[in-house]
Amino acid sequence: MIYLDNFRSTMVAPEVWEAMRTAAIDRYAVPAAFTQCGTGAAELIERAQNRLAAAIGASQNEVVFTGSATEAINIALLGSTRAQAIDQPEIVTSEIEYPATLAVYKALEKEGYTAHYIKVDGEGRYDVDQLSSVLNEHTAMVSLMGVNHMIGTIEPLATAGNIIAEASKHIGRKIPYHVDFASALQTQRLDVDAVKADLVSFSSNKIHGPKGVGALYARKGTEVHPITFGSESYSPLVPGTPNTMGIAGFDKAIELLYATFDKDVEHMRSLVNRLAAGIRERIPHILLNGPEGAERAASHLCYSFLFIEGEAIMMFLDMDEIVVDTGSACAAATLKPNYILIAIGRNHEQAHGSIRFTLSRYSTEADVDAALGKLVPIVERLRAQSTIRPPVQ
Amino acid sequence: MAIKYTAKVIEHFKSPHNIGVIENADACATEGSPACGDEITVYLKIDKATDRIEDVKFQSYGCASNIATGSIITDLAKGKTIDEAEAITWKQAADELGGLPPVKMHCSVLAVDGLRSAIRKYKKEVKGIDYDSTLDVKTVTEELKHVLWPPVGVDIITLKMVKYIGIDQGAVRVEVSIGSDEKFLDPTIDEIVEHVSKIRGVKSVNVDNV
Repeated sequence: MIYLDNFRSTMVAPEVWEAMRTAAIDRYAVPAAFTQCGTGAAELIERAQNRLAAAIGASQNEVVFTGSATEAINIALLGSTRAQAIDQPEIVTSEIEYPATLAVYKALEKEGYTAHYIKVDGEGRYDVDQLSSVLNEHTAMVSLMGVNHMIGTIEPLATAGNIIAEASKHIGRKIPYHVDFASALQTQRLDVDAVKADLVSFSSNKIHGPKGVGALYARKGTEVHPITFGSESYSPLVPGTPNTMGIAGFDKAIELLYATFDKDVEHMRSLVNRLAAGIRERIPHILLNGPEGAERAASHLCYSFLFIEGEAIMMFLDMDEIVVDTGSACAAATLKPNYILIAIGRNHEQAHGSIRFTLSRYSTEADVDAALGKLVPIVERLRAQSTIRPPVQ
Repeated sequence: MAIKYTAKVIEHFKSPHNIGVIENADACATEGSPACGDEITVYLKIDKATDRIEDVKFQSYGCASNIATGSIITDLAKGKTIDEAEAITWKQAADELGGLPPVKMHCSVLAVDGLRSAIRKYKKEVKGIDYDSTLDVKTVTEELKHVLWPPVGVDIITLKMVKYIGIDQGAVRVEVSIGSDEKFLDPTIDEIVEHVSKIRGVKSVNVDNV
């Protein structure tokens, strides 16, 4: 199988699996005081907290582990807005966020919050002027993402952070700034102080860690109310028995991520460039979704293949054991074209023909060449049988 | 539950029968639209003495189930008289494929609509039988039987989701009852507009979710 859908999920690295096995079978106690096995489990969590904290310029107690990035986003957004008492509260995000963020915003709208969804340009960059214009004394939260999962755009997090800090100074109160870094962790370094983020969500399964684990960074002094309740844990934000097996896996995944980070990013960028060049050379009538070059995540490529439909392309590739994703309405459970492609100005037909290729550090030149070799005849064949004819050149 | 295609769907998607164009076809019709994600064109070659379909081909802009239903419907129609072929239902097409996921049932409706439209065009142009009916509540109701509710793959008339049909000088108003949180609300409204707009004499279509 050639797996080019790494923004959805990644293979668990063998070293990660080994770390999880050890945590599950040899060191399976829950964190507790005094006993060897209890303190061993507590130290496992502390080590993982320290590792992620060190990577993003934070300290140990600012990091907690959740059941997913979705859970981290829920704690950050619900927990932080509920901790504030603001008259006629307003919340700000963009129209191209991850579904978890948009779902929490919709839920908060039902509770009476007024939501602002900032627009993006044709390559998916936030309109930071609009961000600046919507912040005011009623703003209770801003949530933005590091890399857009559908179109690979690297977002101007630090610029947004400065705008939010400026607005906070102006109104005399800190507006909490949440960053969804789930899709960015694989290819972007993060310094929470440089970005001025107060809350950051992470996912383990996007970086060769296990599913069922995420993390939340909450800056010291940022008030966040728990949204679930249970027995005492290392943090009130995540009550109950901690998933030590998953945390051990996430910890190992982070260690591996940063051990070869620059080399891996370079490797993925060179493969993406190779795939993009091959597509441009051999397939006419295409549109790149998202920016080119350094402004896009190194492992990400998304093209619309005009006059044909993406689910059919995806299914043909699947039969050749090549895994990709599409923004076509036909492949969506909702029968709607991908909202991010619509937000950057693609029409329905262009969105239907989109295919997303997302690589990992395990991808090879042979993978990319094989995928391209299969893709070209599939596109030609579907175009030959399509009701829509390319314009005569 | 995992949404999967049957082996038969995959087989017809992979190697569709009767794909292509018939030059000098006796009738051809296109249904659906690329904006909605699916479009099919059906071409017919008909023996005028016997009204039997000698050859049928199709082209598809669409997903795997759209291509597979185009393939099966043209197989079913080939060799039949135009009356027999016109009587083929979308349920038959879906059954022949071993079933379709409910969310994909509308693809078989589209394929059947393409075939029927081509046959009716032939009947009108060659045989002088005019199928265009007058715009009234009955024709709108009939047309809405071609709009399926994606979660179950059953039409919105049978499901009693249509609460009111009003017609005033070509302006059609359809009131449906679909929960406002339903994720299929927008695509279903689009499909209602697409179908009702096809009826002769319709100047505008207004759909309200009540």
